[in-house]
Amino acid sequence: MKKALILLGCPEAPAQTPMAVYAAYKLSGMGYEVTVASTPSAMKLLEVTDPQEYYVKNKIDIESCINNLEARDFDLLLGFVHKDAAVSYFVTFYHILNTKSMAVVFERDSELLEKFIEDLEESTDATIVSARAYHNPTPLRVKFDRAIEQLGD
Amino acid sequence: MSFCLDTYLQESENYEILISKVGFKESKKVIEDHSPEVVYVDAGAKILGVRIIGIPPVPIGINDDKDTVTLSYTKPCYGTAVIELPVKKEDIENIRSITINPFKK
Repeated sequence: MKKALILLGCPEAPAQTPMAVYAAYKLSGMGYEVTVASTPSAMKLLEVTDPQEYYVKNKIDIESCINNLEARDFDLLLGFVHKDAAVSYFVTFYHILNTKSMAVVFERDSELLEKFIEDLEESTDATIVSARAYHNPTPLRVKFDRAIEQLGD
Repeated sequence: MSFCLDTYLQESENYEILISKVGFKESKKVIEDHSPEVVYVDAGAKILGVRIIGIPPVPIGINDDKDTVTLSYTKPCYGTAVIELPVKKEDIENIRSITINPFKK
C-alpha cells in the first residue's frame, strides 16, 4: 500500500485542521495509508475533530517523526505551510524523504505568501498549491482538489 | 551517552541565544556574521543528536578557540532562533565530516 505523510505546521491558522482531515480523506480514497505528523497542539485539534479516527488513523509527533525518518519511508509528502518555520520543516522533510511532494501554502498577507512560495521553489521541486487563506479553507480545498487529481501515480 | 541538543537545551543554561523568533534566512545571516568559521550541511543532517531544520545549505558556525558551535534551532510555532553552545572537539569534527559545498547545485 502506498504511504503518505501529511506534515502540519503551527495550528494557529484555522484553515489547517479541516484541510488536514480533508486531505487525509482524499488520500485514503486514492489508496494511501496516511500518517499525520504534527506538534502536540495540532494533534489535539485532530483528536477532537476526528475522535474515532475515522479519517486520520495514524498520528505521530513531528519531532520523533523527523528524527527517525529515512529516505523513501513515504511515497508522498504533503505539507501545510503558513509560517517561515513551516517552510523550513517542509524543505527538510523533502530533502530527507526524496519523494513526490506537495506543499499547500496559505497566508492572508499576499507578500508573505509570495515569500513562502519563492523559498519553496528555490529549494524544492515540490508541487505548490497556494491561496490567500486563513479562516476559510475553501480556496485551498478547491486548488488542492485540482492538484491532487493531477498528481497521479 | 551521546550528546542530544534538545535535552541539553532543556537541562542546561550554558548556551547563548543570539537572536530568536526570526525567519530562517535571517538566522543564516546571523550565523555567518557571528562565526569565525562557517561550514554548511544538508537540511535534515544529524547535528548534535538531532536533525537540523532549514533550507539548504544550512550554516553551522564553528569557533575553535572557544570550542563552541552556532546553529539555527527551529520549532513550528516559535520560528527560528540562533544559539551558540559549547561542545567537545569530537562534536566539531563530526560536523566537519558531513559538510557540503554550498555552491554546488
